[in-house]
Amino acid sequence: MSDTGFWIVQTLNGVQLSLLYFLLSVGLTVIFGLMHFVNLAHGALYALGAYVSVTVSAVLGYWGGFLLAPVAVAVVGIGLYLLLIRRLRHADHMNQVLVTFGLIFVFTDLFRIGWGDIDLGLEPPTLFSGQSTVFGVVYPTYRLFVIALGLVIMAALALVLTRTQIGAMIRAGVDNEDMAACLGIDVDRVFFGVFCMGCALAGLAGVVAAPVFSVTPAMGDSVLIPALIVVVIGGLGSLRGAVVGSFLVGFIQTFGAVIAPQLAAMITYALLAAVLILRPAGLFPARS
Amino acid sequence: MSFRPTTRATALCAAITVGALSPLAAQAKTSVGLLLPYSGVFAALGNEIEAGFTVAMEAAGATDQFDIIKEDTEVKPPVGLAKARKLVLEDEVDVIVGVVSSGVLGAMRDFVHDAEVPLLVANAGNDHATGEQCSPYITRVSFSNAQINRPMGDWLAGSGVKTAYIMAADYAAGHQTMAAFKESFTAAGGEIVGEEYTPFRKTKDFGPYLTKAKASGAEAVYVFYAGGEAISFVKQYDSFGLKDQMGLYSGGFLTSPLYVNAEGPAAEGVITALHYMPTLDTPENKAFVDAYTAKYGKGPSEFAVQGYDAAHALLSSQADGETRGAELSAALSRYSANSPRGPISIDPATNNIVQNIYIYETVAGENGLTQRLIDTVENVQDAPNGCVL
Amino acid sequence: MFHQTALKSVTLVILLLGLGAYVQTGGYYGRELVIEACILAMLALSVDVVAGYGGMISMCHGALLGAAAYAFAAMTALLGWPPSLSFVIAIVASTLLATAIGAVSSRTQGIFFIMATLAFGQMVYVMIFDAPMLGGDDGMAGVKRLNLDLVGINFKKSAPFAFACIALLALSYGLAALMLRSGFGRTLSGVKANEDRLRALGVRVWWVKARAFGFSGLLAGIAGVMAAQHTQFVSPELLLWTLSGEALVVVILGGLGTLVGPLVGAIALVFVKHEISSVTHYWHLFIGIALILTVLAGGRGLYGQFEYVVTRARRRRAKDHA
Repeated sequence: MSDTGFWIVQTLNGVQLSLLYFLLSVGLTVIFGLMHFVNLAHGALYALGAYVSVTVSAVLGYWGGFLLAPVAVAVVGIGLYLLLIRRLRHADHMNQVLVTFGLIFVFTDLFRIGWGDIDLGLEPPTLFSGQSTVFGVVYPTYRLFVIALGLVIMAALALVLTRTQIGAMIRAGVDNEDMAACLGIDVDRVFFGVFCMGCALAGLAGVVAAPVFSVTPAMGDSVLIPALIVVVIGGLGSLRGAVVGSFLVGFIQTFGAVIAPQLAAMITYALLAAVLILRPAGLFPARS
Repeated sequence: MSFRPTTRATALCAAITVGALSPLAAQAKTSVGLLLPYSGVFAALGNEIEAGFTVAMEAAGATDQFDIIKEDTEVKPPVGLAKARKLVLEDEVDVIVGVVSSGVLGAMRDFVHDAEVPLLVANAGNDHATGEQCSPYITRVSFSNAQINRPMGDWLAGSGVKTAYIMAADYAAGHQTMAAFKESFTAAGGEIVGEEYTPFRKTKDFGPYLTKAKASGAEAVYVFYAGGEAISFVKQYDSFGLKDQMGLYSGGFLTSPLYVNAEGPAAEGVITALHYMPTLDTPENKAFVDAYTAKYGKGPSEFAVQGYDAAHALLSSQADGETRGAELSAALSRYSANSPRGPISIDPATNNIVQNIYIYETVAGENGLTQRLIDTVENVQDAPNGCVL
Repeated sequence: MFHQTALKSVTLVILLLGLGAYVQTGGYYGRELVIEACILAMLALSVDVVAGYGGMISMCHGALLGAAAYAFAAMTALLGWPPSLSFVIAIVASTLLATAIGAVSSRTQGIFFIMATLAFGQMVYVMIFDAPMLGGDDGMAGVKRLNLDLVGINFKKSAPFAFACIALLALSYGLAALMLRSGFGRTLSGVKANEDRLRALGVRVWWVKARAFGFSGLLAGIAGVMAAQHTQFVSPELLLWTLSGEALVVVILGGLGTLVGPLVGAIALVFVKHEISSVTHYWHLFIGIALILTVLAGGRGLYGQFEYVVTRARRRRAKDHA
């Protein structure tokens, strides 16, 4: 492999990881921006998406899981919303953090009860198995699919948020909830819709990640921290922030692993600390 | 909602007193502390070892001879140590069986040594435990990291592979396995062209490392990964197309039957060395696999056979009439048998097991993936490495 | 504002006596549980000082405890320094570390503060995990205990050690109560209630927060040194953010901002965990549900609810009399 080829592949690795982080953190950040709600159970919903897809695809194949897992996670999200989150919307952050922290415990043990302690795997769809040649390098086709899907969803979300009426309503809600309500926007319904969407995206991230990584009860914990870092670096509630944050964290982790593996974990936390000290509300705060 | 510690304490005291009385009622029984992870990332391993242990006990009809007290070590060395102390000081067990994580073993080593309580290690492979930190009270019936990986260096060089790139999780087992492989591989004329230690349990995306391995131009990749990391690694290795370019070899649990099917077709062609494979064609193994499958509805793994042999070592010491302390330890370290994994014995110099190492390829079978035996390295024995018993 | 009410004093004395009695009657493992509960209670106490009275929710207290434990372990096991000296240095180290983290994080608020402390805590974790000298993932053995033979106490035995833990827990509570009743403690409550107003009054808010965090680090350091001496073994799990989360859970289950609550929560968690885990391997499920129910029930926690009920009854009685 040529030297340029090597760095092209590493760049693709970085893009792929970044977009996976984007799928995971965009729901988290929009839920936070709109509802001021800190959902630590987001990682558990991601794991739920992966587990459901393993079970469903055993019967219906990968694409069955791909379609059904986000739906299933959204349904669970609706249940959580009606049972818990609606009550906590106006509670302080502390209580939200604690309840959703409790949910992590509950979900992790439910995964163990439902799917066992042994780690599972999911095969990529035959359509995207093997390798393809892009930019003169050979690269796993499935990872190209992850990149394409991430970009499509990123573009779709940007369009919805900036060009549609629903997007305007969401932005109004983020900017000033009371004012939006005064203007006749049914804020609660917008919130509900956004929450479901956020959960579905977490579930989608789970299905998409399952063929790349292994499916384990604690898989949610291991992505929760990077996702939170993305959200906080980018600025809570900001789509642009989530994009920039994802790429910063994804590229630091990928290139950190290549250049200085021992420092990679450290650099991510150092970046988070630096951003918080210099720009306490993140790089692109949704509200000025 | 008030909390009354005094009532609670009384209730607890009562419970503990009752618990302490029961062993008295049956004096003849040997009490065994089963110290395994039942929660956390190693929970599946703990369950397998216990399953193997139970199969052996039931087959021997010896369940009644023992009082078995189970304790969960989680994956936390301090918890493991606290539970070991509890078993010895409160339950006053005669012998402790188990220990999956080397960290837990390291934490409790001095305690069992000083307390002179026999410990039968049923997994933890840290070389030092039967090397410089060996103890007459610690007998290992599982494996050591070097024992599995040293033969692979010779074998791989002998099979014509001249250059290897090595990768392992960045913790003690990763470093020990790689050191053993490196030593024998280079001694046999092989060359290590690059090495990488990835953050343990923190690495999900092996892409960046695999890209480096591919660029190194080595003929083979030699790795040490287990559990979830093994699944991620094998699948990502395949997805990057490395299979056509460089063979994947490992000494250890990369393609353990426990989760090899989660790796899917990506695992086909991977060559690993291990002390057991469920498809060994011996009468002992057939009997074991049948008994295990009949009870649990699935085949055993190498972890199950470790629990099985631990139970048999214990039974054999009982047959010698030894139930406590140094005598029990000595009886355990005299153990030898025709195990499902082939002939095994305990090395009197280190108390580590002496056993065959099987080099096998993972291949597609009728019911998912299975093993094809390539070579057997007989009676692999570790050097004492500073062990004085 | 903190008041050492009669109700708090009575509960505290009952708890400490109960633990002491259990050391005498609970057998070997009972003593282990008491030690574990005391260490967790000290950590929870230190979390309550900043979270309950300063409004600073910390996700790095596990790292503070772990840093003190590792400092103590490194000094006694690697350098062969006397445990008494190491004891003091380790606690000073965790105090300074906490002051620094508090000073830097004080610029941020709410969820950002949580994330900032998480980042610093994880940095300490990664640093220690990646230091081969400190044993990495395998941890470090050979940690020494204090030698109290001169005063006739065999600290290697579990009963004297358990009593020492109870005494240190009482001492930590006393220190925390004194701090909160001092002028500084009142300033801290003021910062929690209205940061901007105090800033307008000329209070250097960041320095108040930093010092409060430092004090909290001192208490966490005591817990850490005792944890290292207890198991005589340290491993990186001590520093993980999940331990910080567990300490926070204990504070909430017991009662945030009550100072006695954390003790109640820690004792309850350790003993209930012990009971549940002998029945099922899924005890996290029960802890999770308990946590959710506690918050939904008003978030007062076991002791907080108790105090609330008692105070309300007393007020009602007073009203009836009037």
